[in-house]
Amino acid sequence: MPGDDGQPTEDGFFDLESRLAWRNVWRNPRRTGLTVAATVFAVFLLINMAAMSAGVHGKMIEDGVRIQSGHVQLSGEGYLEERTLERSLRLEPALARAVEETPGVVAMAPRLVAFGLLSKESATKGVGLFGVDPEREPTVSTLPERMVEGRFLPDDTERPIVLGERLAEHLGASLGDELLLFSVAYTLENAYDLFTVCGIMRLPDPQLDRSLAIIELGDAQAFFAYGDRVSEVAILAEQAGDVPTMVASLREAVAAGPDPTVEVHPWNEVMPELEQLIFIDAAGLYLMLAILVVVVGFGILNTILMSVLERKRELGVMLALGLRPRAIFRVVYKESMLLAAVGLVIGMALAVPFALWFQAHPIPLTGDAASATEAFGIEPVVTFLLEWVNIVGSSLTIFVVAALAALYPAIKASRARPVDALRSI
Amino acid sequence: MLEAHDVFKVYDTRGVETRALDGVSLEIEAGEFTALAGPSGSGKTTLLNLFGALDSATSGSIRLDGQELSELKPAELAHLRLHQLGFVFQAYNLIPVLTARENVEFVMELQGIPAAERRERSLAVLAEVGLADLEAKRPLEMSGGQQQRVAVARAIVTNPRLVLADEPTANLDSHTAERLLDLMEEMNREHGVTFLFSTHDPMVIEKARRVVRLRDGRIFADEARAA
Repeated sequence: MPGDDGQPTEDGFFDLESRLAWRNVWRNPRRTGLTVAATVFAVFLLINMAAMSAGVHGKMIEDGVRIQSGHVQLSGEGYLEERTLERSLRLEPALARAVEETPGVVAMAPRLVAFGLLSKESATKGVGLFGVDPEREPTVSTLPERMVEGRFLPDDTERPIVLGERLAEHLGASLGDELLLFSVAYTLENAYDLFTVCGIMRLPDPQLDRSLAIIELGDAQAFFAYGDRVSEVAILAEQAGDVPTMVASLREAVAAGPDPTVEVHPWNEVMPELEQLIFIDAAGLYLMLAILVVVVGFGILNTILMSVLERKRELGVMLALGLRPRAIFRVVYKESMLLAAVGLVIGMALAVPFALWFQAHPIPLTGDAASATEAFGIEPVVTFLLEWVNIVGSSLTIFVVAALAALYPAIKASRARPVDALRSI
Repeated sequence: MLEAHDVFKVYDTRGVETRALDGVSLEIEAGEFTALAGPSGSGKTTLLNLFGALDSATSGSIRLDGQELSELKPAELAHLRLHQLGFVFQAYNLIPVLTARENVEFVMELQGIPAAERRERSLAVLAEVGLADLEAKRPLEMSGGQQQRVAVARAIVTNPRLVLADEPTANLDSHTAERLLDLMEEMNREHGVTFLFSTHDPMVIEKARRVVRLRDGRIFADEARAA
């Protein structure tokens, strides 16, 4: 295909520019090899660190959502700020129907959330109480799957209670034991009653494991003299990505419903500390990766600049023979892109299977590492999640870095005057 | 064909001015086989660079077929070099990552000549310079003489009107240099290609049909010889 005058033409699979660029890249195999190795290393780290970050953060969100908030939560006006029994809502049939009909909603579960003191003999512990609907709760949360002893609700026992494993240890409670629950009812009267331990569960968040007790919603409403009110309704979404749309739809439905003061919150508003923890963790990781990428960028810059300086005379000859400066610019640019592409292909070939293997085989942490993660309320398991956005983002990052690194050498090469280049030796 | 009129070229190196050409006027007719002779620093390579549109004069006029070179934009100069001029440089200056044939095809490829025609013409010219069997060799796999012959093939394959050769025999042994000169003389005679050399090689001067002698940036002798 005839080209613009002074521009290389295509000849088969590779045009002249690409042929020159490809062969120039391999003129100094050792230097190219080192640059490619640095790029491979960067790609490997980019993909796997991002996959680990996505996996761990995804698990943190999933645990939080499936144990505490739900993807979306309905609550009474001002409940999120005060979290007291005064802030309640009624799950009217019309509201329940509107929620169930909202696209993306998989299930919902009403809860009464309160605080109390739980005692067994001389041991007493302040606890968070979840009053849950035994039928609906398993459709939203993973709490019933976390039983290590006994069974989740419903239970034949009168006023059954499920405890976190650490809480049970603290109280010295075991299955069948009676515990005294003491609190203040909605009516501001003292509330106390005996509950029987029917199950013990192990929660990934150690803090929650030390302080959560679950009773039946009906028992909780009776205990706190709460009538048919609830504190919140946890809603499970089909996909986490559906949350913003779901929130918008639910807000519309609530506004048209019997109680427009009901609030609709996505998980990150209910658990802002979790979102902040993830943000800080991700920021630290991406800062480190950015530094790595910049170092790789300088590696590519060095390789291309050295290559251009070594070829000053040769570039001058090509200009003298009639090659346009912009074609020289493109040749140098293609060299940088080829270096990046080779590093990227090899890096991907190593990184993707590695990430997929760890996605299928999460790494349980033990010892000090486990204690450190538990201190942040995180289950001590490292999980990977390889997403397309990670692969595309890593590729784009490497190409953008290579493109920026090539800019100075390419401009320098294209601005050479043939006569200076020919005189330079 | 080529005219220089009262051409000055002054280099300014860190405030020190060097007058490389000092009022040179010269005319080259089509079909000439001319040598610019003189010692190092006499200005012959500078004059060749100006004729080749690789550099611009400080003052004076250089015209190629009546076209004033100083009036052309860089892209137009590149076009002129691509379509009308051929270059043979002192140090061969082949592109090391390309084979002999690809080097010969380089200018044709820039001109947009189709691949089949390029191949045919490059193989024919390589055969003409005696390198038919080295078409797939890269420059580093060839001797200096072979490389310079590839450079000559590259310079003439597009049938340029003028070939500018800067010290083409400087790095060659006398036998190879003579063969190369014979080759260029044959091109000149049979194809009418105009050759202009810069040289201080007595063999080139002896073969030239016109010798323009320079010293200190000025022409002090212009000798025409019988063919």
